[in-house]
Amino acid sequence: MKLIFEYEENSSQHISCDIEINDKDLYSNNNGNNNSENEKEEGEKDAQIEIPKDLLRSELPLPNVSELTVVRHYTNMSRLNFGIDLGFYPLGSCTMKYNPRVNEDIASMNGFKNLHPLSHEDCIQGSLQLMWELERDLKALTGMDAFSLQPAAGAQAELLGVMITKAYFRQKNQKQRAKIIIPDSAHGTNPATASMCKFETITIPSDSRGNMDISKFQAALQQDVALVMLTNPNTLGLFEEKVLEISDLAHKNGTMMYCDGANMNAMLGITRPADQGFDFIHLNLHKTFSTPHGGGGPGSGVLGVKEFLEDYLPVPRVVNKSGKYAFDYTQRKSIGTMRYCYGNFGMLVRAYAYVKSWGNGIRRISENAILNANYLQRLLRDDFNVPFDRICAHEFVISSHALGDRSALDIAKRLLDYGFHPPTIYFPLIVREALMIEPTETESKETLDNFAWAMKKIAQELREKPDLVRGSPHTKSVGRLDEVSAARKPILRWPHEAFAAKSKQ
Amino acid sequence: MLKQIGVKSIDDLTLGLRPAFKGRINLSRPMSELELVSHMTSLSQKNKPTKYFIGAGSYNHYIPAALNHLMLRGEFLTGYTPYQPETSQGTLQAMYEFQSYICLLTGMDIANGSLYDGSSALSEAVLLSCSYKGRNSIFIKEGLNPEYFKVLKTYCEGADLKIANEITEDIACVIAQNPDFYGNMENLQHLAEQAHKAGALFIVCVIEPTSLALVEAPGNYGADAVVGEGQSFGIPVNFGGPYLGFIAVKNFLLKKLPGRICGMTTDSKGNRGFVLTFQAREQHIRRERATSNITTNVALMAIAATIYLSLMGSDGLKIVAKLSYYRAHLLQNKLMSAGLKPLNARPFYNEFVMQAPPGSGKKILSNLLQNGFLGGLDLGEDKMLICCTEINQVEDIVSFASIVKETISIK
Repeated sequence: MKLIFEYEENSSQHISCDIEINDKDLYSNNNGNNNSENEKEEGEKDAQIEIPKDLLRSELPLPNVSELTVVRHYTNMSRLNFGIDLGFYPLGSCTMKYNPRVNEDIASMNGFKNLHPLSHEDCIQGSLQLMWELERDLKALTGMDAFSLQPAAGAQAELLGVMITKAYFRQKNQKQRAKIIIPDSAHGTNPATASMCKFETITIPSDSRGNMDISKFQAALQQDVALVMLTNPNTLGLFEEKVLEISDLAHKNGTMMYCDGANMNAMLGITRPADQGFDFIHLNLHKTFSTPHGGGGPGSGVLGVKEFLEDYLPVPRVVNKSGKYAFDYTQRKSIGTMRYCYGNFGMLVRAYAYVKSWGNGIRRISENAILNANYLQRLLRDDFNVPFDRICAHEFVISSHALGDRSALDIAKRLLDYGFHPPTIYFPLIVREALMIEPTETESKETLDNFAWAMKKIAQELREKPDLVRGSPHTKSVGRLDEVSAARKPILRWPHEAFAAKSKQ
Repeated sequence: MLKQIGVKSIDDLTLGLRPAFKGRINLSRPMSELELVSHMTSLSQKNKPTKYFIGAGSYNHYIPAALNHLMLRGEFLTGYTPYQPETSQGTLQAMYEFQSYICLLTGMDIANGSLYDGSSALSEAVLLSCSYKGRNSIFIKEGLNPEYFKVLKTYCEGADLKIANEITEDIACVIAQNPDFYGNMENLQHLAEQAHKAGALFIVCVIEPTSLALVEAPGNYGADAVVGEGQSFGIPVNFGGPYLGFIAVKNFLLKKLPGRICGMTTDSKGNRGFVLTFQAREQHIRRERATSNITTNVALMAIAATIYLSLMGSDGLKIVAKLSYYRAHLLQNKLMSAGLKPLNARPFYNEFVMQAPPGSGKKILSNLLQNGFLGGLDLGEDKMLICCTEINQVEDIVSFASIVKETISIK
């Protein structure tokens, strides 16, 4: 379809921009308003646009098209997308569960949406109460002692956790702790975050049951290790069986434990990260707590810590002084501030509403997520390889390597023709031709059965009609796209200069 | 389902998740949708949105109705990062249009698909500069939003970077906000030259981007990178988030750019299509050698800004900018008549600082609040930072000024 820059100009039909103004108001010398004329004081200067020439913009080549053109353009564009609203979206590690629509309405309530962040404390009591109660509920779910709601995503929460680690050991005069242990099944964000704070990464391989190899871990755990970053359940969808032992060894060594809580959807009400020995955990509210993924964000990645780390959390914190809420900026050891104001508040509203609607029945979410994952794994095990054959948590990884090289990619593309979003592929990196499948609790048995049927069908197609699969998808607006030339000859924006030059000719 | 799995109960599936949580979880009982809406309504009503004469990083602009309706489409709302481009062309094309709009407005070559917010975008630009130049200190021109300064300082401490007091030959970048925190606009060509002479990059930070409809694009006065906040483009003030961080750079910095980038390409039949490109910079491939750890961004906010800019066009955006400028200047005049002193030494856009008579600043702000105006950010010493957008009606400007005048005269 066309780009917005490719329509003919149509200013006469412009609607949205017709705010009550005409140029006469702007440039005339009567302040643009007859009422204000009466109010005019003696000696008062008239306002005009007086921008010095060297500051004034010469051209602003944005397209002027009608409101109808814009509405059609973006409506049609949206139809080229896949979302949870359209079908099954088992993208492993991303927890693509249904996003309850009532939470969208709630986040749009005037008191939430239209509240300026620098409003007076008396005018923001509702927001402060919401943040305070959300923090309290997340503490109950994780067993942690304090939360920061500031980070905008899991990766920013990791950054905060690693910054706190750095500040903590600096304060304790243990600057030699310059390394972070990370298993080879970890999300790429863990090592990337460590590097941002100048920590060195030690990678520990997984053992035959899919756990972090404990003997290799023990060997690596020296006095220079500041932090262990574990994902639990890990990215294979398996619970770390020796997590208590690992935490114990780390703590005895003076090393702290960080939980990448991307997979919290397996643990709600069943087990608490604090009880597993973690000193930190981040939660992705856009995963476990159902805030919409929005095509890549916004998310929210809140960070929970044990009591001894609370003083390091960013400011401001929300405090409750017998029913009157306030921001507190006085934290002495605070590492600073992670973002403008207080966090992705709109996401906090949705997560809060989600927790309230489940309340003390929240365990059912994780139970059903685990049930769905194990059921689907069982349906697929005859046709695909299950590299770590255990009861899984909320997701699982299968391998299609028996079906040939690049078969995971081919399966993913062919699934599109059957109306499904593919699983995460080629991750975790330790499994060949990996397909990482997370069905979530909001899917029905019928959907899981249909997906399993499609997967089996594609496996059969790969054996019998491989070209059909390798040429897929056949039903989308575009076929497989040439990613190599996209990177080799980058076209990253509309080349407006070329068109400006043409129109001048 | 349990039978198929080969277990007796769900408890058999959760046995391995240890240590088991035995207690009763300390949450309230579940709420029905009806109860929830009623609970949330009363909670939201404990907040009191007012008429805003305050900006300082969050700007209350009008949001066209068509935008709100388009943003509710589940196809935009409920997808994730477009890892499978064939089924994500909507999100990808919107991202390409967004990158194009940001480049058009800033005068830069390449923009990414978004960062969390303006303050983290600025911090990422600083990390980029230090990595590109192999230097570890930076210089910040006076007039940066103090909230942004705090965030930048936090990132710098994490990455062992220093904030220098002058422009010397070992700084990686010079940072300037334009219009600055106090609303001042300036052609910063001289600063760009100074930065380049020291071998540093010049980064311009734009937090009120509607200004770009009137003010010269930073790419035309020497910026190597332009970062900022896109909240003004169709995103509500939202008590501070979610907002829209953007970053745009000149060609030579492409390989160092953090976050998702969308590129145009073709399929096997020659159809135009869009993909995420240069993924080898990113954490899921490069891990500890990635340009940044960013993964989730604010794609939906970028789509909102794209649709906003398309609805407004250059005609509409100019009107927004002129009205914001005009109303702010009108208010400044009225406040001068009311007895406040203007403190901006340079031309300003839609924010300005006023000096109230000694001891009257707090009283003025509280009287304004009692009359339903969140009027001015208290800068201390009876100084206040005041903002107008197209939303501030002339009648309100008039009553705002008369409340100020009354307060001063009573004193």
